[in-house]
Amino acid sequence: MKISTIINPFDGYIASLPEEESALLKEFFADFEHHCDLPWRDKRKLREDFEKAVMYYSSRGLSLERSLELLDTRNLGGFYARPPVLWFPLDDAAKIYPLSMERGRMSVFRLSVYLREPVVPEMLQMALDFTIRRFPSFATTLKKGFFWHYLDTTKRRFPVFRESDIPCRPLKVSQSGSLAFRVLYWKNRISLEFFHVLTDGTGGMTFLKVLTGEYLRLIGAAAEPSPELWNINDTPAPEEFENAFARVEQKGSASGFVDKSALQMNGRLAEQRPCRILHFRMDAARLCEAAKKHGATVTVYLTALMFLAGRAAIDELQGEQSIQIPVNMRKFYPSKTVRNFSLYCGIRLPIEKTEYLDEMIGEIQRQLEQKGSREAMDSMLTATERLVNLLKFVPLVVKQPVARLIYGFLGDKIFTTTLSNIGVVQLPDWMAEHVDCMDFVLGTAISNRASCSLVTVNGTAMFTIAKLTADPSFEEKLYELLESEGVEVKVEGSGFYES
Amino acid sequence: MKVEITYPPVEKRKQRKKKLIRAAGWVMVLAALVCPVVNLAVGGKAWSLIVLMGLYMLWTLVLSPDLVEYNRISQFIKLLLCSCIMLIIIELVIVPGWALFVVPIVGFCGLIVCAALFFSDMVKQRQNMLPMLNLIFFAALGSAAGLLWGGEAVSWPLAVMGILSLALLIACIAALGRDFLKEFQKRFHTK
Repeated sequence: MKISTIINPFDGYIASLPEEESALLKEFFADFEHHCDLPWRDKRKLREDFEKAVMYYSSRGLSLERSLELLDTRNLGGFYARPPVLWFPLDDAAKIYPLSMERGRMSVFRLSVYLREPVVPEMLQMALDFTIRRFPSFATTLKKGFFWHYLDTTKRRFPVFRESDIPCRPLKVSQSGSLAFRVLYWKNRISLEFFHVLTDGTGGMTFLKVLTGEYLRLIGAAAEPSPELWNINDTPAPEEFENAFARVEQKGSASGFVDKSALQMNGRLAEQRPCRILHFRMDAARLCEAAKKHGATVTVYLTALMFLAGRAAIDELQGEQSIQIPVNMRKFYPSKTVRNFSLYCGIRLPIEKTEYLDEMIGEIQRQLEQKGSREAMDSMLTATERLVNLLKFVPLVVKQPVARLIYGFLGDKIFTTTLSNIGVVQLPDWMAEHVDCMDFVLGTAISNRASCSLVTVNGTAMFTIAKLTADPSFEEKLYELLESEGVEVKVEGSGFYES
Repeated sequence: MKVEITYPPVEKRKQRKKKLIRAAGWVMVLAALVCPVVNLAVGGKAWSLIVLMGLYMLWTLVLSPDLVEYNRISQFIKLLLCSCIMLIIIELVIVPGWALFVVPIVGFCGLIVCAALFFSDMVKQRQNMLPMLNLIFFAALGSAAGLLWGGEAVSWPLAVMGILSLALLIACIAALGRDFLKEFQKRFHTK
């Protein structure tokens, strides 16, 4: 065996350094030791992350002093040096997710950011090593209690992975120390996939922004503090991880869960979930303009187009289509929480009335104002709270099979599809110049053939369809409608995952 | 509609595994249906119950393990409980008169192994305490019930199982101190 294959590349790098720099590096890693009290395997990996980062900087011609300044171990704080103490009961919206999950089916959503340059894995890993401590409720493992599941803090090195599988595939949350989110990279894209038990789209976006900001700082962007971005070195505050549902006073009647079955698109259900991801990349200004032409908001406008496209994918001549629209509760009850704090409403239209766009828009607007109102959300929230209170002393071993049965039976049948609009993402200027766009993918439901989502950043609106059928009628019609409305669409996405 | 592919190709190996598990599931469903029918047709002892329990064990321990709380303690306890049920079924349908002696032996051996698994890596395993507490509870309960109502069938393994379960509980409390209460609080929270 050649000597060069035995020597660790980092040892070789140290040997090549002048004595002064070698001493500097030694001092740096001695300091690292004070910041890390993980089991030896994790500690070694974390140390290797630093070593790889130093070597990356060296390969880019950065001075060692500057490299160590960027990688300052103070960014680790005490996260890796202290034993796990915190635990988090699941918030009210999250409680159903572990109860209803099955093998191969889990509520996972995904947020991605597309950078202008290819992602450097070593730096992304370092960014995650530094960022995770700011989000203690994400550094957790899902555990089973006697009455409810909960999130137990886990202290370990959290790895990033090169993307190689179907988006939004279930996470392995079963083992000790396993995580309920994953960080992936592919070419110029950084993706975060979350089990919904951890957070909702808003919380996930907060994490993605902080992670991306830290990554950009590490690769040399001129980072500046900004109100849009959490500082990784700030101490996490309790209100950032609270169950915000519990803070809302219960009032009014309890309602909002049960509804009639809705029509489903007719394509054969695929084995792979999702069987395809499609992104419609659009100019946000053009989309806004098209919506305004009809006197509608972007959400209402796209919902109307989805009703029209849904009609093209449904053979039935009678019945109702229903589109689920998540409602961010933070707009009614301002909260900093990164846990779940959203509910939903359903917009319903008889299929025979989904023919003329302008007629539909008025009705959708009316329903959205009514069903997505604070009063309606309060009723749903009250119903959620009452259900949680009713079940709180029922052992999990009894709750779980019943919940699975009910969820499997009712499931998503009351909706035809979903549209989740995360809105316009604000990025600080220094970050925006490195970001091309973002996407937001909803994991597929049980029988809904398509789940749609929208996110807008830097003037680009990315409408995503996660498909559960190979039948392309829905997306083809939607594409045709948008083009006919003068909104230019560039379609990106995956191939079919059906084997 | 032209689609620009922006996702990597998926590794086939992972898809094959899913298919294999699904196929194994169907084979097991078929076996679970055929065995009782054959048993009824042939007559004799109800051996199909043992086959059904074996199939369940194979399914729950190997092919479809727990989605939450899959760790060495929980899996060992699951195996232990399934084995005890299997032994009781064998006694009931094939050879009667020995389970009240053998099952407690399996039980207290299980408690010893469980204690070894727990105390050998306490930092990590204390987060996996609930299954062990369940085992302790059921072992103590089983032992107490056996000693109270077992009559002539009472055997020394039953007493050993009871004593060991209490000893393990005390050892856990002593080793974890205040953390034991904290773990208890997490596990039994109703929030």
